Amino acid sequence: MTQEIHPAHAKADNARRTSRSWRQFFHYMFSTRLSASAPRMRFAALGFLMLYGAICGRLIYLGFKPDPATGRRAVAQAVSASRPDIVDRNGEVLASDVKVMSVFAEPRRLIDKDEATELLTAVLPDVDSRELRERLGARKGFVWVKREVTPHQRDEVFHLGLPGVGLIAENKRVYPNGPIGAHVLGFANIDNAGIAGIEKYIDGQGLADLHNMGFAAAPEDLKPVALSLDIRATHALRDELEKGVNHFKAKAGAAAIMDVNTGEVIALASLPDYDPNKPTEALDPNHINRMNVGVYEMGSTFKALTIAMALDSGKINLHSRLDATGALSFGRFKIHDYHAQNRALTVPEVFTYSSNVGTARMAMGQGVEKHKAFLRKMGQLTRMRTELPESAEPIVPRNWGELNTMTIAFGHGLAVAPLQAMMAVSALMNGGYMITPTFLKRSEEDAKSGVEQVIKAETSEAMRYLMRLNAEIGTAKKVDIDGYFVGGKTGTAEKVVNGHYSKTRLFTTFMAVAPSDKPKYLFLTIMDEPQGLPETGGYATAAYNSGYVTGQIIQRVGPIIGLAPRFDPPHEPFPLLAKLGYGMANVPATGGAKH
Amino acid sequence: MLRFLNLIAIVALIGSAVYAYTIKYQTSYRAEQIAKTKIEIKTESDAIAVLRAEWAYMTRPERLQQLADQYLVDVKPLEVKQLVSVQALPDKAARSDMIGSKLDQLGLGLSATPPVASPAQTTTQVSSASKTVTAPVTKSQAANQERKKP
Repeated sequence: MTQEIHPAHAKADNARRTSRSWRQFFHYMFSTRLSASAPRMRFAALGFLMLYGAICGRLIYLGFKPDPATGRRAVAQAVSASRPDIVDRNGEVLASDVKVMSVFAEPRRLIDKDEATELLTAVLPDVDSRELRERLGARKGFVWVKREVTPHQRDEVFHLGLPGVGLIAENKRVYPNGPIGAHVLGFANIDNAGIAGIEKYIDGQGLADLHNMGFAAAPEDLKPVALSLDIRATHALRDELEKGVNHFKAKAGAAAIMDVNTGEVIALASLPDYDPNKPTEALDPNHINRMNVGVYEMGSTFKALTIAMALDSGKINLHSRLDATGALSFGRFKIHDYHAQNRALTVPEVFTYSSNVGTARMAMGQGVEKHKAFLRKMGQLTRMRTELPESAEPIVPRNWGELNTMTIAFGHGLAVAPLQAMMAVSALMNGGYMITPTFLKRSEEDAKSGVEQVIKAETSEAMRYLMRLNAEIGTAKKVDIDGYFVGGKTGTAEKVVNGHYSKTRLFTTFMAVAPSDKPKYLFLTIMDEPQGLPETGGYATAAYNSGYVTGQIIQRVGPIIGLAPRFDPPHEPFPLLAKLGYGMANVPATGGAKH
Repeated sequence: MLRFLNLIAIVALIGSAVYAYTIKYQTSYRAEQIAKTKIEIKTESDAIAVLRAEWAYMTRPERLQQLADQYLVDVKPLEVKQLVSVQALPDKAARSDMIGSKLDQLGLGLSATPPVASPAQTTTQVSSASKTVTAPVTKSQAANQERKKP
């Protein structure tokens, strides 16, 4: 123990010695009289308190004082944000930012406001001088003088050398393709904020919040947004539609192509349309997106839904016969057939002759409630939501009675957005999967994960068979393009004029699927009041106009969107039907309706 | 000795001061270069964005169609019936080179030359041809093996 204590003693001695020398130092430096020490300590403490108080006070003052850099932040907020590029499914640019110069002023820093007004209006002749003087007179840190000036004007403003007047680079949105795909793209305003379409959707994804908080996203941080559209197919579709609308003197028209397995909208056009580079045009109510915002009675294309419902319930099958003798009376109403056969028709005949009576009977066989439930399941009674902010509520009869079910069975009395109808028909075609359409690129796995199967696979195949049969021998022969194994259905709805259905004002629709055995694309064309022409024998029903246009579209777009033509009809295109004992489905059909 | 040390210390001081200043000036020069390059990159990327937009504008399908209509008057859009399947293509014509046939006559012919025949016989002849093609290979292999043996 003692051995251990010894070194410790030595250490303590050492420490005592050094502290003594320090004490001597202090002793020389300050008097050590105890009575004088306390006030001195207090004095020193006060001194430090004041020093630190001053620092704190200055900090608080600086914190409350308006930041001299606010002017810059105001600039950053006012300047158009950069937006991500929008590209089509193949990477073609649909919307992009280019830099333009804008002139701004800081009124507080302007020396002579009148002189500045005079000089600026001399360089920028389209700026109103009185209004500019007012703006410069405002007690603001930042005002715009003129946005998006030409390079020449920019140089002139620069050479004026006015203090408090500056130039800043802004982003301007350009749409190189003009009206092609305009309804999907929407547009951005002068502040580069999305106002409509996908542009607005992009802002909704957090871009606008970031910008308002003062974080200007750098253009290189923004990933391009890939749409489902194919710009070439969209152009071809719009071109053919435009020709059709002009040829048949229709008031308006729209067409779309959808991938039935992914719900991607490959092409969409609605005429008349607008150029998103001139946003004011878009405000014209005649320029709405008729596919998504307009609601229409879809006419006979709705029969596909009725027949699918009846087949899926198991109450009828492809061999069932329905009485279509004469008109079907309900109270004081009478339902007629356009291509009246006046005999019992089989289910395929009901479809190919487009028999109103037959489909009305099928719907009645199910009853009002089941019919309603089926249409709800198919998404026809509620508003369909896609990425596009514009959408429309379907017009559903308030008191849905038996008569409503009978008329809705053949597409009168329920108005839906055409894209909504496409969603339902694509579910009928793709094996029964209810996939909400999308305008963004997506894979089949993503599209089919978690979606509801609304009808049986057999029913879906039966519907494809009926569509194909209709293109072979029925009302949809106009789309029977060699090699694509197309199926189709016409729809002609009479428009309601002054509360009555008009015989002369028609709304025609045409739905086509290709290829029918392994469905890939669904085509829809709608036309508002197309006119009968001498070469159509004066007829203005769907087959002559919408059907013809759809045929042209398929022919032209097929190679673009990768539809491989086949030279021999597929062997056994409908295997499930064959297994169920409908061998006739796999044999080429003969006979049938005239058109 | 002490003076010498002092001298060394002074030289070292001046040297380090000069070195420090060179580093400082180099740094600010580099910083300036970086700033300049950043501006250049920005200008370039803006220019690229403009060019991309312009390219998209120039190659928009509408314009291309107009130009095609104007200049490619004789060319028509592809029609489905212009496409043919591989099976529908006619068979390859018989090769007709004189040297080959002479070699055949001499019995030295590489049998890869498809013999002149009607399409009905093609399959059998192709198979026989392939057999004969493989034959020399096996022979040479055998020869190789023999050579290796000793």
